[in-house]
Amino acid sequence: MAFPNVRLSNRPLHFIYLCDCSGSMAAQGKMQALNQAIRQSLPGMGEVARQNPEARVLVRAVSFADRAAWHLAEPTPVEQLEWRDLQAGGITAMGEALQLVAAALQSPPMEERALPPVLVLISDGQPTDDFEQGLARLMRQPWAQKAVRLAIAMGHDADLEVLQQFIGPEAGRGEGSGRSPRRPLQASNATSLAQYIQWATTAVVGAASMPASRVAAAVAADRAGMSTSNIQLPDLPPTILDPTDDVGPLVW
Amino acid sequence: MSTSWLLPEGAQLRFQGLDQPLTILQGLGGGTQGQVFAVEAGGETLALKWYLPAYLARDQGLPQRLRQSIRLGAPNDDFLWPLALLEPTPESRPLIRHPEAGFGYLMGLRPPGFIGAHLHAGGRLDISLQNVLRACFFLADGFHQLHLKGLCYKDISLGNLFLEPGSGRILICDNDNVDIDGGDPGSVLGTPGFMAPEVLLRQSRPGAGSDLFSLAVLIFRLLTRHDPFRGRRELAIRCLDEPARRRLYGEEPVFIFDPEDAGNRPDPGEHAAALVTWPIYPAALQALFLQTFCSGLKQPQRRALTGQWTLALARCLDQRQLCPSCGQETFPEPEQDSHCWHCGASLPRPLRLRSGHSSITAAAGNALYRHHIDRLARLDLHNPLGRVEAHPRDPALLGLRNLSAETWTVMLSDGRSLLLKPGKTCNLAALQDIHTSADTLTLQA
Repeated sequence: MAFPNVRLSNRPLHFIYLCDCSGSMAAQGKMQALNQAIRQSLPGMGEVARQNPEARVLVRAVSFADRAAWHLAEPTPVEQLEWRDLQAGGITAMGEALQLVAAALQSPPMEERALPPVLVLISDGQPTDDFEQGLARLMRQPWAQKAVRLAIAMGHDADLEVLQQFIGPEAGRGEGSGRSPRRPLQASNATSLAQYIQWATTAVVGAASMPASRVAAAVAADRAGMSTSNIQLPDLPPTILDPTDDVGPLVW
Repeated sequence: MSTSWLLPEGAQLRFQGLDQPLTILQGLGGGTQGQVFAVEAGGETLALKWYLPAYLARDQGLPQRLRQSIRLGAPNDDFLWPLALLEPTPESRPLIRHPEAGFGYLMGLRPPGFIGAHLHAGGRLDISLQNVLRACFFLADGFHQLHLKGLCYKDISLGNLFLEPGSGRILICDNDNVDIDGGDPGSVLGTPGFMAPEVLLRQSRPGAGSDLFSLAVLIFRLLTRHDPFRGRRELAIRCLDEPARRRLYGEEPVFIFDPEDAGNRPDPGEHAAALVTWPIYPAALQALFLQTFCSGLKQPQRRALTGQWTLALARCLDQRQLCPSCGQETFPEPEQDSHCWHCGASLPRPLRLRSGHSSITAAAGNALYRHHIDRLARLDLHNPLGRVEAHPRDPALLGLRNLSAETWTVMLSDGRSLLLKPGKTCNLAALQDIHTSADTLTLQA
């Protein structure tokens, strides 16, 4: 006497972190802040995954310092994920990290059918290896072209140009006209970092797997070429005025 | 870290036109449009939706629409309807943690026990077929009342429907796009996967006609846990992104059970849910999907109307019969030899309670409503007059419990008669006719 035990067939949604673990990340608690932000985002990400009948959200992570390596190699369902802390130390092999992700997005091992992957690149500095070659190899993969690519710049020394290259060109917009998910997100403190990670793991995962309600203004913007993405990205979280933002030193 | 709330938790805020301040109790959730808070107002706990400034900039007509909805009132109790539009007083403005204060609206708090409909679609909800059908009925009836008021919803999807699994009751949330049909084009277009093709392709703006399409998609998704347009054509799509969804739902949609085009049938491996669940439902109900998703696909005026859905869903519930072999709920066609969709056992012709114009299968849980005995009464599944129930100690013994306020006269098959007071149950095995003040019900094989 129950509804038959069936469900809508779902597709995998691969969510891959690319995390800068160079020596500079050890300064001013940046590495700890990133570990915290990712760990704290997991319950919310799990909730989005649980509520979404169309997606199997699978998480992986690459870390890069002197070399790039899979920090979390197995595509892991978010509800089973226990985040192991990243450790800082070394230089910034960002190009090699892109090579690793390129290999993972090849089919196989990529499934034949999937939802657009979400790639989140987080860095506080400049690549010390051949970034261009890594990016070129990544962007030859059809799954990387289809992916939602986001970048978070930690602190003020991150190479915004390199991060913008990873995201792809931002069509039709002038320089410096406010925040946009099609531009590197600048996390100047631990709070904004956590906010951006939370946004990427919930709102963006939702948009990539279960399209949200549409308004005409956003569609007009899409048509005007403001978005080159095959996924309509959600608004960034609002900047909340908080009196505590103005007191004491910033985290870094 | 928790969400950053636009309104400070614990604060008392004053709003224009409200005598008393509201206490912001707790942030409940945030989405792409705004944040919802539990608030206390004069001893009552309510919900407050506060819009994100970026969203307000894209929807200029919102305050006007909300005022209109508040003035017109909710179509029925199944809507979490806006109660008041709230703008902060100058004193309270600085407490709002954004340079643009914006506004919000007050509504009832969603009671505990109501669960997001997407959990059902994802197979994560224990619910009976009867209660899924009831939920579909309430949904169609809600839209019926809404459309009768001259309004349209514009953006129905799994995301703004909540279900109570134990009763099939529903709540329709996010009523802030509701507008007078054919009025201001508004800014919302709908949710991909639920949008009518003409809206997805930007040929027209959402209205009551596109609501009928979205409603049919939502009912299909509730009844089948599958999607009406995901068949073999989906298998050819590697990356299911926006251009792919546009093809699947807008440019070349083909209903997976289209009798004239078998090109998009469900795949037995990938789309098993559709193949298992579709045969459960009676032809009269299936016909409304065919009407909406085949000829009505490109011709909005041919889509099944809300009143057709409520009638077909209510009749389907009246046909509910329990398989004697596996106990599963089945909905066999009357006067036809049928088999259980679940175990394949042959289903016996059931006893039926018949009135002048309706017929209810005698199965535990089936209910008698005013519309069964009063031809002029509107379809209503909220207030049963009677219910078929098994005897507490002998489940094989079925009776009809009088849930109405009046005493019924019952004629037994041996010619005797007795009075059935409210709350009492009469054994169906002994019963022939029931006389109510409205009509007579006869028990027939």
